[in-house]
Amino acid sequence: MWIFILRRLAVLALALLVVSFLVFLIPYLGDTDPVRALARARFGRLDLDAAAIETLRIELGMHRPLLVQYLDWLGNAVTGDFGNSYMSREPVMEQVWSALKVSIVLTLAALGFAFAVAVPCGSIAALRQGSAFDSIVKSLNQAFVAVPEYWLAPMSILVFALYLGWLPSAGWRGPESVILPALALSLRPMGYFTQVMRASMIDVLNSPHIVAAHSRGLSVRRTLIAHGLRNALLPVITLFSVWMAGLLGGAVVIEVIFAVPGMGRLVYSAIVNGDLPVLQAGLVAIVTFAVLINTLTDLAYTVLNPVVRIDNAAA
Amino acid sequence: MPQLNTPVSPDSVQSMRSRMGNVHMAWSFVVHISRHNRTLLLASIVFATVIVLLLLTPWIALHDPSSMTLSGRFSGPSAEHWLGLDHLGRDVFSRLLYGGQFSVSITAITLVIAAVVGTLLGAISARIGGAVDEFLMRIVDLVISFPDVLVALFLVAILGPGYGTLILALTLTGWTPFARMTRGLALEINAKDYIRAAEILGCSRSYIILYHVLPNVLRPLATIAFLRFGHKLITVGSLSFLGLGVQPPDTDWAAMLAEALPYLDRAPSLVLIPGLAIFITALSVTLIGQGLEAHMDEKMKWRHDNK
Repeated sequence: MWIFILRRLAVLALALLVVSFLVFLIPYLGDTDPVRALARARFGRLDLDAAAIETLRIELGMHRPLLVQYLDWLGNAVTGDFGNSYMSREPVMEQVWSALKVSIVLTLAALGFAFAVAVPCGSIAALRQGSAFDSIVKSLNQAFVAVPEYWLAPMSILVFALYLGWLPSAGWRGPESVILPALALSLRPMGYFTQVMRASMIDVLNSPHIVAAHSRGLSVRRTLIAHGLRNALLPVITLFSVWMAGLLGGAVVIEVIFAVPGMGRLVYSAIVNGDLPVLQAGLVAIVTFAVLINTLTDLAYTVLNPVVRIDNAAA
Repeated sequence: MPQLNTPVSPDSVQSMRSRMGNVHMAWSFVVHISRHNRTLLLASIVFATVIVLLLLTPWIALHDPSSMTLSGRFSGPSAEHWLGLDHLGRDVFSRLLYGGQFSVSITAITLVIAAVVGTLLGAISARIGGAVDEFLMRIVDLVISFPDVLVALFLVAILGPGYGTLILALTLTGWTPFARMTRGLALEINAKDYIRAAEILGCSRSYIILYHVLPNVLRPLATIAFLRFGHKLITVGSLSFLGLGVQPPDTDWAAMLAEALPYLDRAPSLVLIPGLAIFITALSVTLIGQGLEAHMDEKMKWRHDNK
């Protein structure tokens, strides 16, 4: 098992190294000379003479070989120094931290809600296969998965903010401003969670240890809570972590619509404004979190589930 | 499944008969589905209708999607303009059809490329095995952990917005389910007795791949393609919504929705209609995928029970 853990950690490190190199290259891959781009962002004009550009290039250390620059950049990045934003001139890391906090709150609220609805609904649907409840839950799930969030969000703003006036239509002030974006974000994961919960619960219900517990005379409810739920939850928890990693930076559309100052919007506006340090730091932060969460889930799975542990030890 | 009836000998008369058998099987498959799975039938009809409407766009959409009648801004449905006019006085129905062509075709192109790339890589992974297999599967793990939208944003930052960037970005994230599925199936099929039998009978490798492996892989792959289509359609939309996908004067459903957003309280239908189009299309395709999947499971179960 230690070999498995070490291998996963090696993959993690390698992935981060590759991604960091790609992110480092962003300024050099575009059409414009990065020094010129920076000059434009800083001084607001493109027509600086060549001598000024060269002075700036040397001042920024951009005349050195690419690899040296990368190592330099990586060294700073590891200590959390991604330079200053072209737009606000403030240290990039501060912006990224505050955006990350907002995104974590939003993502946890959305996925927590999805999870809280999906687990009971999926379980009951599995227990009463073929019932009216089962088919209603199934139809709703299929619909939820196909709803684009950039449609649901304006529609919920229309109803709850403009017509009813219960909730703020945008912004990030206080708990009530979390509700609409979290709801809009939760619908698709809710659909997937419920489907997976139902399927895994059916699997568990048919497994020998549940049948054995039944034949020992345990009630359905006790069997389910003591033996069924714990096992049935595992796939849903995996899915939860996948979505967690995905939504931390992937909630761009919702964050833009609701003016939520999260990671998605930070990266998006960095692209629109050509604010490269913010873009780099944002991407690195998102990818680090995504890969970290996935690795942790795999490891937790290995530690918690003996069957997976044996499989991985054999692998 | 048809390939079970395919004779092993590559004799021409035999293979002709088997091909007619395949047509017959396909037809009875359609009949079976329409009898037993109403949802699948309905979803297929809805999706087919959408596709036909989009194909017939030049003949149905009577108005130029970008010509403006400023005096008629926000006007409601009429005999002339079936869904009314938008905030610039453009015909909503025409824009919906032309926009739909972009949404659906970009999604379809991406999906086809992703399916081909994924299937090839999955087959290679299963065929070569060892370190190559391990390497490819770790890449799959890695790619899956990136959000689609983010990869697209990353590429837009480097290459600038455009159709090429859009298709590239969505292909980069889209090939993984196909690769995983093909790899798993190929490993499974290669171990089957009928493959062994065909090898013993002296069938060539290409014959085996064409007549035994491919038909077994095609239907699961088609199922995934249908299941992924809805998701891709929504993702393409989110990029267009952010202004990083379709570029004006072209439009697609999500771009229409984004344009109408500032007028949400004044003309909610301009936001409602294109969103509904994405929803209906995505839902019908997903239902087709799930129907095919359920049908496959049923068939597997049937075969299993009758062993």
